[in-house]
Amino acid sequence: MGEMDKVRNELLQGTLDLLILRTLSGATLHGWDIAKRIAVVSKDRLSLKQGSLYPALHRLEERGWVEADWGVSDAGRSAKFYRLTRAGRRQLETEKAHWLSFVSAMASVLDMEESS
Amino acid sequence: VIGERLRWLRTRLSRLLRRGKAEAELDAELAFHLDHLVAEHRARGLSERDALLEARRELGDVSSYREEVRDTWRPPELAELWRALRFAARSLARSPGFTALAVAALALGIGANTMMFSAFRTLVLKPLPYPEGERLDRIDRSTAQNPEGRLSPADYLDLVAQGGPYASLTAYALGDVSLAEPGQPPEMVRAMRVTPSFFGTLGVTPELGRDLAPDEDVPGRHRVVLLSRRCWQNRFGGRPDIVGRTVRVDGEPHDVVGVLPSSFNDWRHLGVFDVFRPLPRDAALAADRQSAVLRVIGRRAPGVSPEEAAGFVAHLGARLATDHPDVHAGTTWRRVSLSATVQGQSGPVMLGMCIGLSGFVLLIACSNLANLLLARTVSRSREIALRAALGASRGQLLRPLVAESLLVALAGGACALLVALWGADYLALRSTGDNGEQVVLDFDWPVFGWALGASLVTAVAFGLAPALYSVRLDPHETLKSGARMTGDRSHRRFRHALIVGQFALALILLAGAGSFIRGLDELNHRRAGWDSGALVNAGLVLPAAKYPDAGRIDAFHRLALGRLGALPGVASVSLSSFTPFFNWPDVRRYRVEGQPRPETGREPAAAMNVVTPAYFDTAGTRVVSGRPFDARDTAEAPAVLVINQAMARGLFGDADPLGQRLAALDGGSSGEIVGVAADVKSIVPDPGPVAYQIYRPMAQEPRARAELLVRAAPGVPPSGLVEAIRGAMTELDPDLPLRRLQPAEATLARANYQSGVLRDILIAFAALGLGLASLGVYGVIARTMAQRAGEFAIRYALGARVRDVTRIVLASGIRLALLGAALGLAGGAGLMRLLAYGNPGMRLERPLVLAGAALLLVVVALLACWLPARRAARIQPMDALRAE
Repeated sequence: MGEMDKVRNELLQGTLDLLILRTLSGATLHGWDIAKRIAVVSKDRLSLKQGSLYPALHRLEERGWVEADWGVSDAGRSAKFYRLTRAGRRQLETEKAHWLSFVSAMASVLDMEESS
Repeated sequence: VIGERLRWLRTRLSRLLRRGKAEAELDAELAFHLDHLVAEHRARGLSERDALLEARRELGDVSSYREEVRDTWRPPELAELWRALRFAARSLARSPGFTALAVAALALGIGANTMMFSAFRTLVLKPLPYPEGERLDRIDRSTAQNPEGRLSPADYLDLVAQGGPYASLTAYALGDVSLAEPGQPPEMVRAMRVTPSFFGTLGVTPELGRDLAPDEDVPGRHRVVLLSRRCWQNRFGGRPDIVGRTVRVDGEPHDVVGVLPSSFNDWRHLGVFDVFRPLPRDAALAADRQSAVLRVIGRRAPGVSPEEAAGFVAHLGARLATDHPDVHAGTTWRRVSLSATVQGQSGPVMLGMCIGLSGFVLLIACSNLANLLLARTVSRSREIALRAALGASRGQLLRPLVAESLLVALAGGACALLVALWGADYLALRSTGDNGEQVVLDFDWPVFGWALGASLVTAVAFGLAPALYSVRLDPHETLKSGARMTGDRSHRRFRHALIVGQFALALILLAGAGSFIRGLDELNHRRAGWDSGALVNAGLVLPAAKYPDAGRIDAFHRLALGRLGALPGVASVSLSSFTPFFNWPDVRRYRVEGQPRPETGREPAAAMNVVTPAYFDTAGTRVVSGRPFDARDTAEAPAVLVINQAMARGLFGDADPLGQRLAALDGGSSGEIVGVAADVKSIVPDPGPVAYQIYRPMAQEPRARAELLVRAAPGVPPSGLVEAIRGAMTELDPDLPLRRLQPAEATLARANYQSGVLRDILIAFAALGLGLASLGVYGVIARTMAQRAGEFAIRYALGARVRDVTRIVLASGIRLALLGAALGLAGGAGLMRLLAYGNPGMRLERPLVLAGAALLLVVVALLACWLPARRAARIQPMDALRAE
């Protein structure tokens, strides 16, 4: 895995929130699991300071998009489990649509640049 | 609104709590994550230590996450502000001298201003404790001498019979009484007699018991009394069975029927009174048109305008003047809204003036602050320029500067509240009366709001200017110009303008204080015609129940004078209707028998003092010709009078007044002039002074109400006589209290306390203004000196002497002070005029004081510049140049 494959350390602003929302859309997870899942699904190409996940989670919680409860992890330790709220699910759909349209717009511009 | 406030508070609180919880949670989550990472790396074969290092690296900067979470629970702007304030606090803490100076200056300025606002609010803006008080009027019978004259009982009954626009009318007469209970010493209390409609008209309901019944003014049923809550608490220990008990008022048993609510004890209006009795209404009283003893208050019917009521009152007054020209000629009737009567005629003007003057103090403090901030900003302009060069936006440059001034202003505002509270305490202490009544200022939300508002305005107005100046600097130029930071020309001019303004304001304050000190001093030393040094004085009221007629009053007077005169250490004793120190409100009209009768209403008026024979000796009033009264002037002997020199000159010119006869318009006090006494001047400023004074023997007009004067023998301190006098009087009549038995000097000290308070306020303002302004000029000159050290070094090197450099430094300060003083002269003259308007009877327009104040200002400025000048004199040319 060369450096070129890696997306830059600093994710584009707002993308971390989208990643978290998407990861939580299927399951109730604690922070460690969220980080693992993002790593696995992105095939480790999205590298982030793993700690930055937590302020993001708190931010989402404050906005009411995720909610959290303390529970017991597989390893038997107490951990904070996050799940998506209804508002969070709506937010995920909006952001996803935004992101996709942004990507396609960017793609068509870049393609045009290349073909010209 | 309160519900809303609570909800807001609850949200804030829960957020605060949640914030702590969120941080704890974050720590737990991060620890959990770290443990997993370490375990993972260990599984990949790293050593314990390497695994931990690697895990920490991957996790990132934990403290920044914490900060981020904290910000999550705060709105972003607030988070930004918070950071700026914290930064400002740290930077202020690094220069404690500047910070302390700035906060102290603001605390004094805002504190003075806040206290004045509180006084204005309490006196002018706060309504009296009566429901729908705006419908309450006081009705006066005005004469040229006394615009606030009272009505006579017959006048009042005429007014009630007409009613007119008034839904309800009431009258009251003041008269202190002795309140005694079996087994307790008698006490003199402030009391009034009221018509049964009194409390109903004002809209006051007793807290305990009942109001007066409408028929309780019928003689025989009138022995009932209502007490103030204060009296009930202090004298009767708040006992619940007070209603229905019997108390002795002036030696007569009265039933307590009610206790008034505490709101009635409002010092602004009738709060000093403790005992309220019905005014018994008999035929003699109803027919009395002569004695103007009743204060009248009316409640206008709903919907009646003040103008309508004024028209009615004026019309009634005019009719009575036609019907009874002997009494009412030359009088007009008027209505005044009750709330205006508590402020006095010039009260709002004086209070507004004090607010304005405290504003001057604040302005001086603020411009000092601006100068300090400016100096601080200039010395930091390199840092600012550097940051600007590195791409900081204007907002980013401004933020820390504004945050600093905001912090200073808020700290100053908080300390200002302490200053204001201290001021109000002082005022309460200073105003404490004989009855424990005090001037109490309100400190409530609007006052706190005022202090906060003043702080914020200060912070913005005087913090932003220097800040804006500094961000306007060209970073390139600033960085290039190196360490020599004198500031540019416009900047120096701005600083100098601030100093000039400070001096102008300080001069106004000085002039006001100076003229008032002199005016009050003159008043206090206006002691012509009497000598109070060795006197003890007291008030005495013989209750009508025990002393119903002139004969018995006269007998008691003789007894008391004899007994007191025999006390060791007493030189002489007298009784008189008034003391010589204060005004004599008993004004009577006379004409000279045998001279043509003057036009009705234009007869000469004289202030009457009814005195016992030893009065002239005791008071120290010289009898310049003829004789004083003596033992032969009894009730049966021919009526005699003593007049003062002004009256003798006015009525008889150079002719001898002795043996002439005066006829009083009221008939009762005519008599032959047997003596001429020196003119007496009271220490009370009187708006319409009556120059003519006239005396009558007490035996020919015995007064139940009298002032006792006791002169101590030479070498005996008057305060030592007080207990002996009290003992002797209690032996004569155990039911008879003495009011304010004390050395006359103590009575005098209390007399002009309101003017005294105003004087103290003016002095405080002037001292603050002068102090702050000299501090300001000192700071600016000192800074300029420091910056011009190189220039002076060169001057020295080129052969200038210490004297030359000192002169340059002093001249630069004096120029500013002179300019400021010149600008302040007009303002000072204006303030004197305003003071003179607010305090008629005092001579307050004093050009000499104004000139003196300007001189003082310049001298103080000279001193303030002297210190930096001396420092300039000690510059070592070589050191200063090498430091460049």
